[in-house]
Amino acid sequence: MIGEILGHFRIVGKIGEGGMGMVYRARDEVLQRDVAVKVLKKGVHADLPEGHSLLNEARASSALAHPNICTIYEVGETDGNVYIVMELVEGKSLRQMCDGNALAPEVVLRYGVQIAAALVRAHDRGIAHRDLKSANIVITPEGLVKVLDFGLAKQVEVRGSDEPTLSRASPGGSSVSGTLAYLAPEVLRGEPADYRSDLWALGVVLYEAASGRLPFGGRTAFEITSAILREIPAPLGPPVPPGLWATMQRCLSREPAQRYQRAGEVQAALEAVQSAAVIAANTRLEREAPRTTVLHSVRHVRFRRGDELLLVGTIKGAFILRSNAQRTRWEVGGPYFHGNAIYALAYDTRAGRQRIWASAQSYWGTNLRSSDDFGRSWTNPQESPIRFPLDTAVSLKNIWQITPGREDEPDTLYCGVEPAALFESRDAGETWSLNRALFDHPHRARWLPSNGGLALHTIVPDPADRQRMYVAISTGGVYRTCDGGQSWTAQNRGVRVTFMPNKYPDFGQCVHKIVMHPARPERLFLQNHWGVYRSDDGAESWTDIAGGLPSDFGFAMIVLPRKPECVCIAPVESDEFRCSCDGHLRIYRTRNAGSSWEALSRGLPQRAAYETVLRDAMTTDTCDPTGIYFGTRSGQLFSSRDDGKSWERIAEGLPSILCVRSASTADSGPAAGGGVARETSGAASSGSSASSRPSRTGKLRLSKKR
Amino acid sequence: MIFQIPAALREFAGGRNAVEVDLGAAPLNEALDRLWLQYPGLRDRIVTEQGQVRTHINIFVGDENIRYLGGLATLVPMGAVVSIIPAVSGGLRVAG
Repeated sequence: MIGEILGHFRIVGKIGEGGMGMVYRARDEVLQRDVAVKVLKKGVHADLPEGHSLLNEARASSALAHPNICTIYEVGETDGNVYIVMELVEGKSLRQMCDGNALAPEVVLRYGVQIAAALVRAHDRGIAHRDLKSANIVITPEGLVKVLDFGLAKQVEVRGSDEPTLSRASPGGSSVSGTLAYLAPEVLRGEPADYRSDLWALGVVLYEAASGRLPFGGRTAFEITSAILREIPAPLGPPVPPGLWATMQRCLSREPAQRYQRAGEVQAALEAVQSAAVIAANTRLEREAPRTTVLHSVRHVRFRRGDELLLVGTIKGAFILRSNAQRTRWEVGGPYFHGNAIYALAYDTRAGRQRIWASAQSYWGTNLRSSDDFGRSWTNPQESPIRFPLDTAVSLKNIWQITPGREDEPDTLYCGVEPAALFESRDAGETWSLNRALFDHPHRARWLPSNGGLALHTIVPDPADRQRMYVAISTGGVYRTCDGGQSWTAQNRGVRVTFMPNKYPDFGQCVHKIVMHPARPERLFLQNHWGVYRSDDGAESWTDIAGGLPSDFGFAMIVLPRKPECVCIAPVESDEFRCSCDGHLRIYRTRNAGSSWEALSRGLPQRAAYETVLRDAMTTDTCDPTGIYFGTRSGQLFSSRDDGKSWERIAEGLPSILCVRSASTADSGPAAGGGVARETSGAASSGSSASSRPSRTGKLRLSKKR
Repeated sequence: MIFQIPAALREFAGGRNAVEVDLGAAPLNEALDRLWLQYPGLRDRIVTEQGQVRTHINIFVGDENIRYLGGLATLVPMGAVVSIIPAVSGGLRVAG
């Protein structure tokens, strides 16, 4: 088979053998991507009843675009070989991961929620899995669960009813551990199976993952069948939390009517355990030692299409807040990345994506993570993609900024890091490279760490000129490239420093933030470590615009999307006392590009409010009227929908806030066909949200070739 | 020798809390290379891209911190237990 061509798929290697046939790795010669091709055993499909063909079944399954379901791209037939082309999923099967080895409860919950989510989608589309088992569940290196073979088992099962143990390769397992151990009692009794039979199988999978053994075992098919029909599985105690055990028990109720009735109920139950449980770490070797407890409490907020979201990075994790389009009441979800400092967040809607990016810093280094499902699952690459080359002898300390590139270069992303350097990706964040010209800049040796370290924290691509981009370095100043990053010049003329004898050096400024309005790319605003400036000539020179401010020291700065003349900042008293002036939390706004400033305080605490708004902790949304949001060091989050005239506190008690970004579940990049019109929240139905969600795998194609 | 894997990294070790590396007595860096081979995701979490143990991570051979032994060159006896544990010195100081 190797080397053969099926349709436009060249078979390049064997992946494995399943009950239905062989699985190969293949190359799609048209789309130039690797896929998996399952070539069915002759006879598997031949004697199926008329009108009930495997092709129809596969077509139905192909409509299941979901991050936790292995996508079927195509079904075809050549020379009597029926083949199914699907997403190539690389990783370990859950069976391999938990064979004789219990997974930590938090891992079981994380995987369980994703498996349940896959079932929710399929059941909503009228498709039962019918062969759910740990061998059909693959965990990618990023920790994403993929359920394989949706709906494909039906025919096999029809034929195999007199042969209940489908002999499937099960590494390390007993020979009778294939499908049988996952079959629900009603299926064994020959009664009609329905979605609830999948929920039984999910219970078996959860039990297996949490304990490393099957709930109903036996050496022969008879023993297994007998156990399923008559026995009660051995209870699971600590470290399995009681809520997880209770969920499994309900899935494993012998009578379907006693089980959960819908996959969504199982998902909700598992999420509830996630958010409530204090899970004792599974420390087999340390059993005698005091228990370490890991508090695991992620709360996922449910989103509807058209909802507005706020992404909030704090020193102890990320939070996602949701509101409907009115943006009056906000629900807090999270924390994601417990205990990690989240310095940078970004939302990328280009090319139809809805991707959240986050940088997560902990003891274990700083990693770039992304989510295509609003936080339910996150990539977690084995190897950190942002790394300094060996010859630099430098190690990554932190990622301060993640900036999607211009609209017309949807696969370009930038990261600003500490120690100060710029990384670029041209493949949507898969691989990254260090910008050498800036790293090798002769000034670099004389850049100095500021209080927060030596960081490149701000990246401003010129939307009108692909060759032109600005970056800000503390302490180094503003640098500009006009040749797409081949060379960089310091652009700090007129920007004062207080900490050197020469107050106007070429470089060495401690710039805290620069902003640009996309409609006025020649104009920039700058919040300095002392000083507020504007440039009207692409950073050739800077003019002091701080007149009228109570202090020109500050960090955060934004320009309003619908008003290019309108800039907001959050001044603090001084370098030594980095708190809002006189205990009044006030935002200052100019509506004339810095000629005058006005204090905005309505709705903000004005008594003993000693707050700091850090450099990335203020942002706007894309709605009309514009929403402005900022977070404080004391974990309060404020919003305004009238350009800052009045404010409301929308969250409090969060950990210290490092960054705030907005996102919208209605967003879709122009590449997806000129953008998707916003729906009002009332018009969104549960079906529309799923079907109109852009798929990462691209458009599905199905063909039947003869 | 046996590596004890901290809870935060178990997802990179197939969910295991301990990993046995089939190696006689060997310097720690060789043993770690074997560990990375088995579980590549552990590497970038424990050492930097330049191969240095991360600042707030301690590695113990038996009960002793390798900092007071031979660092990454410490000879790990056959069958020894190597523990990877975050330091108490961690935590975050936010400037601003």
